[in-house]
Amino acid sequence: MTAAAGAHAIPDVLAVRDLKKSYGDVHVLDGIDLDVAPDEVLAVLGPSGCGKSTLLRLLAGLEPVDAGEIRIGDEEVGGPSPDRPMVAQGATLFPWLSLRGNLEWGPRATGHADPAAAADELLEATALTGFADVRPGQLSGGMRQRAAIAQVLANRPPVLLLDEPFGALDAQTRLRMHEWLRGLLAERPTTVVLVTHDVDEALLLGDRLALLSARPSHVVERIDVPFGAERARSTLSDPGFVALKARVLDLVLSA
Amino acid sequence: MSRVIPATGSETLHGQDTTEGDVSRRPDDASAPAPGPAVLLIPTPALAPPEPRTRRGRRRALGLVVPVALVALWALAGAAGFISPRLLPPPAAVAEAGWDFVAGESTATLPGVVPFDGAAARHVSASVARWLSGFALGVGVGVPLGLALGLSRRAGELLDPLVQALRSIPITAWLPITLVWFGLSEGAARYLVFIGALFPIVIATADSAARVPRALVDTALMLGTSRSALARRVYVPAALPGIVTGLRLGLTLGWMSVIVAELTGQTSGVGAMMFAAREIGRLDHIIVGMATFAVIGLAGDVVLRAVSRRFVAWSEG
Ligand SMILES: Nc1ncnc2c1ncn2[C@@H]1O[C@H](COP(=O)(O)OP(=O)(O)OP(=O)(O)O)[C@@H](O)[C@H]1O
Ligand SMILES: [Mg+2]
Repeated sequence: MTAAAGAHAIPDVLAVRDLKKSYGDVHVLDGIDLDVAPDEVLAVLGPSGCGKSTLLRLLAGLEPVDAGEIRIGDEEVGGPSPDRPMVAQGATLFPWLSLRGNLEWGPRATGHADPAAAADELLEATALTGFADVRPGQLSGGMRQRAAIAQVLANRPPVLLLDEPFGALDAQTRLRMHEWLRGLLAERPTTVVLVTHDVDEALLLGDRLALLSARPSHVVERIDVPFGAERARSTLSDPGFVALKARVLDLVLSA
Repeated sequence: MSRVIPATGSETLHGQDTTEGDVSRRPDDASAPAPGPAVLLIPTPALAPPEPRTRRGRRRALGLVVPVALVALWALAGAAGFISPRLLPPPAAVAEAGWDFVAGESTATLPGVVPFDGAAARHVSASVARWLSGFALGVGVGVPLGLALGLSRRAGELLDPLVQALRSIPITAWLPITLVWFGLSEGAARYLVFIGALFPIVIATADSAARVPRALVDTALMLGTSRSALARRVYVPAALPGIVTGLRLGLTLGWMSVIVAELTGQTSGVGAMMFAAREIGRLDHIIVGMATFAVIGLAGDVVLRAVSRRFVAWSEG
């Protein structure tokens, strides 16, 4: 691993205790408890509008919590940090920079890695080497989404927060992105919180699932995903997968 | 915060390019700002996508038809005696005056007398110096002020009404107070150009800075960018296309202020030459001055566009 010392000095463990958040009268999060083990992928499912995006924004430090606690290792989350970046659906690459410029941004700002080397490595990992000098506006949706994830990974964050990262993509591209992300995480073990609407996505990428209730939301169910690292497209038709998916769908719909 | 913003975004121009031959709907014209208080602008070419060469050539040729016809009419009407040369000298006389202005032999003049023959370089350079120094001051004050207005809610609430009120004052209405403050001086001239250029720059900068997507700023922070670097690394580059639009408007309005600025007792400058020509009844000189204003103003915009193009290319698709 080429990560600079700073990025991994904090033990990769995320703990959320009794987290609460309201917007005015809208009571969104009502005591969320979560634990994510190092290098584990936690998939968060829940009905629309229950506060999944809110939860991730709090984890990312983009908004203050009302009550409760978010810890990463022994550090309490304050503001936004390159140690736990969030990538959301609308990829937010800097449109005036080339792809390379975007990938180099993080290491330049933090000094966590050599910018040019990090960018080269990620261009290869995203299969975008030929597009290094292209601006984001000229990339396809799938390419942009890969690039946005690569952009924040350039700092080698111990924790990665993904909010429906592939939600805007077509089904085929999404399947390809799942395989790509699994490969990427195998190479760069990272603790991930993945918010998704897509039960297939949750079961293909997650090591565990957390199910949120409707607003005001709390965690109603935690499920271990029994499939190992060898998950692939074919897993989708595995009888165990199908049964688990049916159970999870029931839970989501009744949440 | 609501602001009156000139509708000059190039995005509105794309895909409108099918009205070939219809001069009144050239996509080029769409960059003219919506009419606003105290704003009177020549339509200027927009940051429009390139079009095929031959079509562009034909478009340009078409644009010459009406002016050429008008000049011909003007010459014929003069020759036929329909127009008194005291009201409108014939084109040939104006052309001759233009030649004298540029290449005529300059004669020694008494102090306080504004020369004409061979004085084009002197007048143009004086006007352009006023224009550019006033504009530069407008940029230096307008961009930071606009950023403050756009980025700080408090600054916006405090200053937006004042800016909106001040921008509604026509540049000519600034003349009397400027003369009291600065007297008949070069300083007065530059101050007026500065005022003329300032408001479009402030307003376009504030508006485009306020529109920078929050997600872009969040991403920068999550990549480790410090808050103190946000303005330089995120807000300014993201707002640059809007700022450039403001600069173009400011440059044009600054140039229009030059003629007012030269009512401040100047003995050089294209406007100064025109006011002197009025006193001695030289209409041909006045028309030469007007043509000079047109040519220089257009040239300034073309140069600014060329210089800024590479910085804003990303926003043009
Ligand atoms: N900044 C805000 N101000 C006011 N209300 C907000 C704000 N952000 C979110 N909300 C409200 O909080 C609730 C949860 O929103 P959030 O976006 O977190 O839901 P979500 O679970 O991500 O929904 P979806 O599945 O549709 O993405 C919604 O009712 C929303 O209207
Ligand atoms: Mg959401």
